[in-house]
Amino acid sequence: MSAVLDELAAGGVRLAVPLLLASAGELLSERAGVLNLSVEGMMLTGAFAGAAGALASGSAAVGVLTALAAGLTVALLQAVLSVTLRADQIVTGITINALALGGTTYGARLLFGDGAADSVPGFDPMPVPVLHDLPVLGPALFEQSALGYLACAVTGALAVGLARRTPWGLAIDAVGEDATTADRCGLPVRAVRYAVVLLTGAVSALAGAQLALSEVHAFSDNITAGIGYLAVVAVIAGRWRAWPTVLACLFFGVVQALQFAAPALGLHVSAPLLTTLPYLFALLAVSGLVGRSRAPAALTVPFVRGT
Amino acid sequence: MTLSLAPPRPLSRLRHPSVLAAGAALVTVGLGAALVVAAGTDPATAWAALEEGMFGSPYSVGTSLNSAAVLALIATGFSVAHRAGLVNVGGEGQLCAGGLAAAATGLALPPQVPTALGVPLTLVAGFLAGGLWAWLAAVLRTRRGTSEVITTLLLNFVGVGAVSVAVHEEGLLRQPVTSSETLPQSEALPAGAHLPLIAGAESPATVIVAVAAVAVVVTAVVLRFTGTGLRLTAVGHSPSASARLGLPVARLQEGGLGVAGGLAGLAGACLVATAPYVLAEHFSSGYGFTGLVVGLLARGSLIAVAAVSLLLGFLTSGGINLQLAAGVPASSVQIVQSVLVLLIAATMLWSNRRTGAAT
Amino acid sequence: MRARPASPAAARVPALEIRRLTKSFGAVRALDDVSLVVESGTVHCVLGENGAGKSTLCHLIGGSLAPDTGTLRLYGKPYAPRRPADALAAEIAMVHQHFSLVPTLTVGENLRLLRLPDLARRVDRVADEYGLTLDLGARVADLPVGVRQRVEIVKALLREPRLLLLDEPTGVLDPVGTEALLKTCRRIADRGGAVVLITHKLGEVARTGDTATVLRGGRVAGGGPLAELPAERLVPLMIGRSADSLDPALSGTIGLTELTELTGSSMSKTPQAPADRPGPSALRVHALTVRGTDGTHALDGASLEVGHGEIVGVAGVEGNGQSELLAVLGGSRAPDEGTVAVGDTDITRATPRQRTDAGLGVVPEDRHHDGCVPALSVAANLFLGRLGQFRRAGLFLDRRAMRRAADTVLTAHDIRAEGPDTPMSALSGGNQQKVVLARELALDPLVCLAAAQPTRGLDVGAVHAVHSRMREAAARGAGVLVVSSELDELLALCDRVVVAYRGRLSAPVDPHEPAARERIGRLMLGAAAEDSARASAPTVAAPTLTAPAPADPATPADPAPPTEAITPPTPPTA
Repeated sequence: MSAVLDELAAGGVRLAVPLLLASAGELLSERAGVLNLSVEGMMLTGAFAGAAGALASGSAAVGVLTALAAGLTVALLQAVLSVTLRADQIVTGITINALALGGTTYGARLLFGDGAADSVPGFDPMPVPVLHDLPVLGPALFEQSALGYLACAVTGALAVGLARRTPWGLAIDAVGEDATTADRCGLPVRAVRYAVVLLTGAVSALAGAQLALSEVHAFSDNITAGIGYLAVVAVIAGRWRAWPTVLACLFFGVVQALQFAAPALGLHVSAPLLTTLPYLFALLAVSGLVGRSRAPAALTVPFVRGT
Repeated sequence: MTLSLAPPRPLSRLRHPSVLAAGAALVTVGLGAALVVAAGTDPATAWAALEEGMFGSPYSVGTSLNSAAVLALIATGFSVAHRAGLVNVGGEGQLCAGGLAAAATGLALPPQVPTALGVPLTLVAGFLAGGLWAWLAAVLRTRRGTSEVITTLLLNFVGVGAVSVAVHEEGLLRQPVTSSETLPQSEALPAGAHLPLIAGAESPATVIVAVAAVAVVVTAVVLRFTGTGLRLTAVGHSPSASARLGLPVARLQEGGLGVAGGLAGLAGACLVATAPYVLAEHFSSGYGFTGLVVGLLARGSLIAVAAVSLLLGFLTSGGINLQLAAGVPASSVQIVQSVLVLLIAATMLWSNRRTGAAT
Repeated sequence: MRARPASPAAARVPALEIRRLTKSFGAVRALDDVSLVVESGTVHCVLGENGAGKSTLCHLIGGSLAPDTGTLRLYGKPYAPRRPADALAAEIAMVHQHFSLVPTLTVGENLRLLRLPDLARRVDRVADEYGLTLDLGARVADLPVGVRQRVEIVKALLREPRLLLLDEPTGVLDPVGTEALLKTCRRIADRGGAVVLITHKLGEVARTGDTATVLRGGRVAGGGPLAELPAERLVPLMIGRSADSLDPALSGTIGLTELTELTGSSMSKTPQAPADRPGPSALRVHALTVRGTDGTHALDGASLEVGHGEIVGVAGVEGNGQSELLAVLGGSRAPDEGTVAVGDTDITRATPRQRTDAGLGVVPEDRHHDGCVPALSVAANLFLGRLGQFRRAGLFLDRRAMRRAADTVLTAHDIRAEGPDTPMSALSGGNQQKVVLARELALDPLVCLAAAQPTRGLDVGAVHAVHSRMREAAARGAGVLVVSSELDELLALCDRVVVAYRGRLSAPVDPHEPAARERIGRLMLGAAAEDSARASAPTVAAPTLTAPAPADPATPADPAPPTEAITPPTPPTA
């Protein structure tokens, strides 16, 4: 029983780490008024570029750098389309994801051929002395790879460093709530939106690299399989607030881990049902059946200066 | 110091939609050729395969038309909801709900059911289920003010999940498991629920093509020439003024999104009632999302809905042949399609400006 | 205001110099060859009717818009803002007509958005120098408009600007708040700063300004030191005809009545004689209560009665329940308690359609948002509620019949539009309002018309048309309820005026009694008007003009007595 619990916690955290990272970025984007559906594409591109970089250089650290570069490129595309060209954010998000899926699949065939990406240089677990011996939480939290610890640190830094009480966090919220007023206060509305989208691209790519380089040391087609969308859903379920979003990510992680742990627990739960659970949960949270929730007022609304 | 004068606009002629469309097409054709070459295929071979896949045979034309019809149904529904001021992102989920209901209905019918009864029942079940799926989001919007963009988006995943659950559980719709090889999908629908072919045995084109054409035309007429169309438009532009003028705003919005869901559900039912006549995971093949993109790009014009649906429908089936006959990776087709959509979306602002919508 | 070196040379450089500014929107020339000079140490008023180009000028100076041609100089240096941030960097502060505050943030957070060093010290300094104090922890969305305006002004002053622009700042203020604001402007100018006050109220100009520029139709109609420009000369510049030709209600909308009363002359008033009609009153509102989300009362037992053929005005500082009253009447908001009846029909919870059928016409406050659908044609806006009358072949809309019917209305109401198919958004504000009014007046039967701020944003010609229509409706026997923040307009137009204060309505005041203006002014500040509340036991608080502004949340409990007992309307003597 305790082994199952261990596995559940460890599995939950393992799935939650990339989710946390991506949703930390997504939360920033949405707070600034950009519904960044392309997180999925950014993660996937990051995973692909990370694997390619690591394979080509033989170094996992270089893989992280190439992942960042690729994620930023996708983010730049998203930002140009949705902020400068004011294209529909739903269209661009969904389509960039399709482009990323097509592009990485095509690229994998071209670069990796058959099976070359089945084993790429990656990050190995680095147990923290003493702490990893803690029951349940120890193996879950303190046996991660260097990239995993980095991911947790970045998530924490974003949550604390860009909270509303900080000047930058306040600027982000103002831009997402009322862009015209923010503009009149002298805030660079478009620059703020570019910044958060690029930041989202960077952390999503990191999340993708975490998937490919820390967990499986391989790249396979569509390796993210919807985790990016799940990150968007976590932000919705967390009602656009930091800590509830973190809780939603952890909850989603555990629910997914339950798929693997359920047989050991002697439970018969339909795996697709568990996969669907996060979305149902988010639906309940956002429908106002559980407390009130409000999206940033300017979400998906492009900014045009006028009167 | 003089500020910049009103600039002369030699570029404005370049903003004509047809110029933009031609430009976008050129870019995508070039990109497609590059991808084909990079994958090691001779461009001439690839082009022949693409053309063959689009127009080469009654079979390929029929497949293309079927795809276009599914897209057109979803995009038509999207346009109706959009007229009422709602953005239906949930085509995928509604399509799944429709497919699920159609499969359940079709499988519940007696094996000898006549087509005249089986097909309508299956399609109506799909329409109702899809409509109900969307109506959930509409009610959350009209009663609780929850953004339909977010609820319909979430309901997509729930719909996809529901299909998954249904085809994985033997207690639900999964075919009897006889070996570990048994696929997670439903049994085949009885012959009476199969959509009739409309262009002979050579072509797989089914009545869905006619159904979609009727849906597009009827919708266009209703939106353009009836009081209901004007009322929907008014609600879409200004719910509060419409309410003041005595229009039943909530009912119109719920109806608009309900019809959108219904048409997507109908599309789902058609997919299930077309060969191989089973409900399987991923039976939607992303049609819901592509249909949404068609709707968004058409911007309320049903002529554009028909045109874009046909374009993407033919491209899709041409792409399939490109893989089969020329060995070009499927992903390159996906790349070309996404780049085309991104180009159109990106230049929309530009073509809007030309018509003076900037104020 | 930062102390400036007062060397004579520096004093001669104008604070702001505008040369030949032109700005067009499509075919409309909003500003045409406008030049003006603002000296430092002065309050410069920019006067003009609605649509004269005042706001466009404001946006050009503030960097929200770029001019087509023309130049600006700020303290002698070329100034070409490309964005609001440039204006801020040039030490120009603006107070916008529509607030620039993020409603979901607190006051303190809104101030922090400015990213100024030593914010706390600056806030203290503005509080000391101008007496403007704020509750930094309050959420802006929870604040009454008057307080938001104060936040907006503090925000501008925190920057110690060289030039302060105020765009119609007094529209949402009560008399005391207006007085305080104008004093603040004066003080800024007296310390060497430059103030541009954009307004359409002559009274404010006379009390505060040093110089003025009058805009009409996007051009400079005149200007100069106000000492040489008395109201008799300003009015023709503003509206193109002399003050004598205006009836009192029209004078009211440009703040002229107030001015002439100040200078001692008086205008004759021509009250309407209401049609004598038996039976229930046209509109009866009884003990209406609407609670806000936070538990406060937007309406708190408001009662009111409008007789047939009578025009009743609702005065008061904005945000005292007038919007909610109209929302309840229009059916967009259900009251928590109380009843509303039109004629003998109870419509408390009726749908908008049932209200229309009962004979209640409503002209909403926000014309663009609630009154019409700007993107649709004039014909559609006229007949949207009764499309069933225009059917062809049972199913289709008979657009030709709609067009014909619309043409008739356009002619009858003198609505200037290219045709019935013109989109509403292409019409001027005045013509839009005429369309809305025409539609509501076309109800059959028309028992009561309720209009909120019906003349806001209209030019004098349109104001005149709107007033005439409302008077005609009353003459035909309908009850008319007018909510307006222009007290002078109400005084001239109405047979009785009630005052909204904190969700309650006072007993009616007869606008023709000698001290009506002063009494209403006191009622707007929450003072109980003893004599008008004779029906109920008077619980009187200190009714003085020095009472704290009503918007201030720190004000003690509402001293106004409940006003349920309203005597039936008595026809005022002509």
